[in-house]
Amino acid sequence: MRLLLALILMTSAAVAQSEQPPSQAAQAPAQTPAKPDEKPADAQAPAQTKTDSPAPSTEQWVSGTIDFGYRWLTDVRGNFQEYRSVVNLGEGPKLFGVDLTFLDPKKRLFDRLDVRAAGWGGDPYNTAHLGARKMGIYDFTFDYSNIAYFDAVPSYSNPLAPAGFNEQAFDTHRRNMSFALDLRPGKHIIPYLAFERNSGYGHGIDTWVQDSNNEFAVPTLLRDSTNNYRGGVRFEYNRFHVTVEQGGTTFKDDDQSYYSGVNYGDVPPTTKILGQTEVLYGLAQAYGIRGTSIYSKVLFTANVNDAMNYYGQFLFSEPKTTANFSELAAGGFTQLSSLLFYSGQQNIGTGVANQPHTSASLGWQGRLGHRLRFMDSWMLDHSHDAASSLLAQQLLLATATASPKTFDPLAYTQVVNYNQNQFDVMFDVTSKLTLRGGYRYVWGDATVLAGQLSQTGTLAMGELSRNVGLAGLTYRQSEKLSFNLDYEGSSSDRIYFRTSLNDYNKARVRAKYAPNSALSFQANFQVLNNQNPAADIRYDFQSRDNSLAVYWTPKAGKLISVMGEYDRSTLNSNISYLGLFLAPMTSSYYDRAHTATSAIDFNCPKIPGFKLTVGGSLFIASGTRPTRYYQPLARLTFPLHKHLYWNTEWKYYGFGEQFFLYEGFRTHVFTTGIRVSR
Amino acid sequence: MTRVRLNPKAPGPWPLARVSRPLATGLWIWLVATLFAINAWGAQDKPAAPPAPPADNKPATFVGSTTCQGCHEDIFNAFQKNPHQVVEKDKKRGFENNACESCHGPGSKHAESMSAADIRNPGKLKPAETDKTCLGCHLNQPTHIGRLNSSHAKNQVSCVACHSVHKNGPNGMVARKTADINQQCAQCHTDVWASFQKPYKHRLPEGAMSCVDCHNPHGSFLPRSIQTVNANEPTCFKCHGDKRGPFPFEHAPVRLEGCGACHQPHGSSNPRMLTRTEVRFVCLECHSNLPGPKPPANGTLGTVPPGLHDLRSPRFQNCNLCHQKVHGSYVNRDFFK
Repeated sequence: MRLLLALILMTSAAVAQSEQPPSQAAQAPAQTPAKPDEKPADAQAPAQTKTDSPAPSTEQWVSGTIDFGYRWLTDVRGNFQEYRSVVNLGEGPKLFGVDLTFLDPKKRLFDRLDVRAAGWGGDPYNTAHLGARKMGIYDFTFDYSNIAYFDAVPSYSNPLAPAGFNEQAFDTHRRNMSFALDLRPGKHIIPYLAFERNSGYGHGIDTWVQDSNNEFAVPTLLRDSTNNYRGGVRFEYNRFHVTVEQGGTTFKDDDQSYYSGVNYGDVPPTTKILGQTEVLYGLAQAYGIRGTSIYSKVLFTANVNDAMNYYGQFLFSEPKTTANFSELAAGGFTQLSSLLFYSGQQNIGTGVANQPHTSASLGWQGRLGHRLRFMDSWMLDHSHDAASSLLAQQLLLATATASPKTFDPLAYTQVVNYNQNQFDVMFDVTSKLTLRGGYRYVWGDATVLAGQLSQTGTLAMGELSRNVGLAGLTYRQSEKLSFNLDYEGSSSDRIYFRTSLNDYNKARVRAKYAPNSALSFQANFQVLNNQNPAADIRYDFQSRDNSLAVYWTPKAGKLISVMGEYDRSTLNSNISYLGLFLAPMTSSYYDRAHTATSAIDFNCPKIPGFKLTVGGSLFIASGTRPTRYYQPLARLTFPLHKHLYWNTEWKYYGFGEQFFLYEGFRTHVFTTGIRVSR
Repeated sequence: MTRVRLNPKAPGPWPLARVSRPLATGLWIWLVATLFAINAWGAQDKPAAPPAPPADNKPATFVGSTTCQGCHEDIFNAFQKNPHQVVEKDKKRGFENNACESCHGPGSKHAESMSAADIRNPGKLKPAETDKTCLGCHLNQPTHIGRLNSSHAKNQVSCVACHSVHKNGPNGMVARKTADINQQCAQCHTDVWASFQKPYKHRLPEGAMSCVDCHNPHGSFLPRSIQTVNANEPTCFKCHGDKRGPFPFEHAPVRLEGCGACHQPHGSSNPRMLTRTEVRFVCLECHSNLPGPKPPANGTLGTVPPGLHDLRSPRFQNCNLCHQKVHGSYVNRDFFK
């Protein structure tokens, strides 16, 4: 990391010494204030102006910015593991952001090369991007991200577990990498190739489940990866387009658990089962999962004439997996079902699953005159899962003899069909008002493993049938005022799950008003009401969300710009369920939340590049899980030289939960650094 | 299979689905005829789209981009590095040396009068007309396979709402950087952005992800414009490949309802972005059907757990302590392993 920082410093110095004038675009004032949660590097990024007359480009060969610096944390007060689960920022030297664009005036290898990176230096989110393009020859992009997932939430584990264990906790990273190469971009025939890789690695605390008597927290190693290869050709013509793509994936997952010691599990050692204490002395468990898949993709669009457009796609994938599993455990165990005491057990399992999955959609749009449009679309999705599994178990009895092996074989076919037809009509009543209406019918069936507890039990079947009415309008008084309404109402005959959408009404209103070029308002309202009145379900769900945002940038933000957003959301859910001893009970969940975000930017015309931002966000929720989460911030950018800026930021994270006080935390985070621009 | 409605008093299916075929056909004919009539009535209104007809009634003609340069030199210069510049040079596209007029229409009248009323400005047209202009060329591209049926198109969010047609450079057309993309989406979807201020969320405010990692703003064949991966899988599996399967023992909601059955993907007050505060309620709200030979009806997938689950004990309040492979298991039907 130090080497990388040294390299960045040298590059920055070289960039800073350039005497090229800065591009006018880079000096353009922001029309909309940056969101307070953005990285400092982005706060000063050239804003997207909505002017119709952009500045002409200059011919400098490199432009962009580099941000680097240092971050400090005050001691995290409260639950450090919860801090890592929610925030997870660390201390140390950081490369906050790189955004460089290289232009080759002679257009030898590329016309333009873009390099971007953010969050390097031990941050939980590292990203990188490389884009190179030569017009008419190639277009290449590379993207990389490495995101840390830490999760150790005490309220989601068993407080009876021995100290030091956080069941179901994990500390992992997920990496995504993708390469894409388009040849002859902009031409009629465009071949392309791509490769993507997604992988995860890390460790966690899993549980080893012994019969139904006890479960033991054990450390586990997690490692999986998926590689995706694909290539195809796009045929793009004036009247039609066809894309043909063939791809494939490989997958492997090699999770392992290993434990050696004395582990009494979730049941205290004082609690005897048939007079015996359940204890685990050793465990070795390993998965070897391998998967492959091929897939095909055909897309088309066509304009028969100005009044008719068609589109469609056919997608097919056939993922397959094979699994080999072995497990060896030693300890003192009891099998209640056969009143058996044993000191060890071995499980060997294999599994195979093959899932052809076909999707297709077809649609058209027709126009009648300037005002009327029709759209009709069909969608079919069919997946078919042929699976087989064999689990062999042998117990080592307390008398040092082995029990007979037991086998649980299973072979079944799971089928899921989903179909949808939708018809929409849109009518421009005037140039400002558009009405639309439509109808959607969704139907399907599923034969799945659900609702059966036996390893070899039968399949369950379900059906889906839903009729949905659609309506909406859009009103645009002018560019200053627009209004949009969406409504969806449904009555369902058959649904799969008790909490599925059944008889529901959903509406959304979105309005935008900009009285002048410096001030604009955005308001949203949406509601979802879902009911399932069946006597043993009685599901009553209602959610509402109201938000209002204001953006004020007087004089194009030369002196001040203000962004404020407020959101009020409520959610009420009640449903009957069968509780202890099958007694009917009601599960009630309520959430009433206020969320506010703001950023006020102060600029000083006498000091170009000076910027002070204050703002942040807060989230206050009451209801079933009352939560408060504050993130105020202040950020200062001070110009040291015409290509050199000093950035500094303070941010506070305060998190608390009324019912889980031990999960709260608070900390101050200070960041300072240098930004080099050209 | 017998189709049984669980509650006979519950509202029935949509009326149109129950009527006989001839009646349904008649209804459709009536609907189309009504729409034609409305269209004819609406056509009496003054069309709003392009400019007022010129006084001499002679159609405007193409004048070439160099004529436009005379007054709009800044745009012209910027345009030289714009991806749309290919229209200016490519004979096959039919607008050689007339790239400006490929979108703005013939400009001779405007060049004479210098009046904005004499030229078409796609940015100020009805969104549907703006889309028609853009999709005249761009519909025939794979990214726009879902455009016509997308919620953006239906809600009159035109292409120019997100794309700056004249801006310089391939990255100038639309926001490319993560923070810029998120900012652009959040300007309209303020309610969604508010969800990302909750403690448990995908890492968008931190700049690690952007909205378009999961959603295709041009539309998709999946609901909510969800992107697809590996041809027809939801984009969740792009990053969470270990949850994709196929598993010999699948958990039905993952396949039938998607990740949203249990998770709030934008953000939640609950750890792991769950829809409920306690894990047991996420599970028990579905797993509350008594097992038996009951025919399928409304929401019967998911049977009640056996009696050994003492829900008063913390051991049984977080179901995934034991049923840890809840997304699907390779070896165990109960998701223990």
